[in-house]
Amino acid sequence: MNRISAGSADDFETGRFRIIQAGSREIGVLRMADGSFRAVRNRCPHRGVPICRGIVGGTWPPSPPGELQFSHEGRVLLCPWHAFEYDLDTGQEMFRPGAPRLRMYPAEVIDGEVWITLRQTETVNGGT
Amino acid sequence: MGGIMASEAANLNLKVEARPKLGIIDCDVHPFPIDDAASIMRYLPKPWQERFLRKGSFLTNAGAPTRYTNPNGTVVRADARSPAGKIAGSDPHYLIADLIEGNGIDAALLNCLDSAKLCTTQAGPDESIVLAQAYNEHFVQEWLPLSRHLAYAMMVPSQDPLAAAAEIRRIGSHPQIAAVHLPLLSALMGNRYYWPIYEAAQEADLPLFVHVTGLENIAHGASAVTNGSFESYVERYSAVAVLGELSVNSLIWSGTFERFPKLRVIFAEFGFLWMLPLLMRLDRAWRGLRHEVPWVRRTPTETAMSHCFFTTQPIEEPNDPRDLERLIGMLGYDNLCFSSDYPHWDNDMPGATLQSLPEEARRKVFRDNALKALRRPAGIRA
Repeated sequence: MNRISAGSADDFETGRFRIIQAGSREIGVLRMADGSFRAVRNRCPHRGVPICRGIVGGTWPPSPPGELQFSHEGRVLLCPWHAFEYDLDTGQEMFRPGAPRLRMYPAEVIDGEVWITLRQTETVNGGT
Repeated sequence: MGGIMASEAANLNLKVEARPKLGIIDCDVHPFPIDDAASIMRYLPKPWQERFLRKGSFLTNAGAPTRYTNPNGTVVRADARSPAGKIAGSDPHYLIADLIEGNGIDAALLNCLDSAKLCTTQAGPDESIVLAQAYNEHFVQEWLPLSRHLAYAMMVPSQDPLAAAAEIRRIGSHPQIAAVHLPLLSALMGNRYYWPIYEAAQEADLPLFVHVTGLENIAHGASAVTNGSFESYVERYSAVAVLGELSVNSLIWSGTFERFPKLRVIFAEFGFLWMLPLLMRLDRAWRGLRHEVPWVRRTPTETAMSHCFFTTQPIEEPNDPRDLERLIGMLGYDNLCFSSDYPHWDNDMPGATLQSLPEEARRKVFRDNALKALRRPAGIRA
């Protein structure tokens, strides 16, 4: 198991990324409104920019003409460059299946501490 | 081809075509009323006849301002005049012989630019309503019965969208009417002003046929393509294609095709290669800004390719013709429809258009796509 700690869960503000360093990579760790956590590589799959500095919010899903709806509140990450939207549950670009997705890591709280699980081939010292 | 007679020109075109019979559909042919204004007058109610006689100002083929007059004096081909010397496009029998029979054309979509000029801005709103009806009656009664190969894009008075819709419902079921000729105003095509027209066109299964009216950037109230004044005919001629791009852009982001899911639009004489960079730009913008217009449910490319068609003339002519085919290949062959623009000075004949496209692509461009775009005229096989 290749795990790193992101610190105490109580230190996280809901809806606001905290960036941790994992070797050469930056990972954004986010506390969701339901208390669960997300860990996202701080790199937009579109142009490689630091996406975790973008807006965490909802979106206006496809709807009939002239009818505005709002959904996915707190579950969408909007890249600060080019404004592509990503689903924080799946990593997929919103409403565009098949496009490159966010790199996400399992995150869990154990005894009040947030743990991020990296892939076997990834190490805190570098790697893939 | 200087000095060659029209009939010889037609034979030349036929020889060049010399390939499997395509049953060509020509999506842009410009007729002119047979007896000029007199042809239209006879379909006007008496009070309107008297008004126009008194005014002396309603006449077809109204001149353009000097700076926008074609430097060769006219936009119609001298070699397409009828044997009796009538202006090109005004003798249906000669048009049938010269264009249709001379080039293996199965259906020619007639659209009258003089009525478009009148209905867009030259006539007042009330005048445009009766003039659109009179032009429609002229072509329906005096042209269409002459040949099953003639189809017609009926004129609508776009200055009054409710009257335009009523005109579609009045005459749109005629079996040789295949499209609704919509002369654009200064409102972009996605503007809800046009909704009654779109609703009636969709209801009749007629596509919108949109063509340069000749008044863009000239008349107040007509479509504008820039806020500056062009200085010459050629400067204006080269720029009006921008209106096609503006129109597609507007139709996409307004969600018009979501609101009218069966609506089809044929863009005639605007060119089409500009669709490549436009759609790339729109698709990219959709990924980032889609949520501002969430009713744009599919990518702009998917939407445009499901609803928009483009005619071939005036076709770009790169030094290496293969460049043109490569670009068309990138755009795809499914939305391009052959058009001659007969009898205008810059017209393209089928025998000299996209000759080396693959056979399947030629079949689509010269026939199948038009049948998808148009409401199929009676007498034209599917």
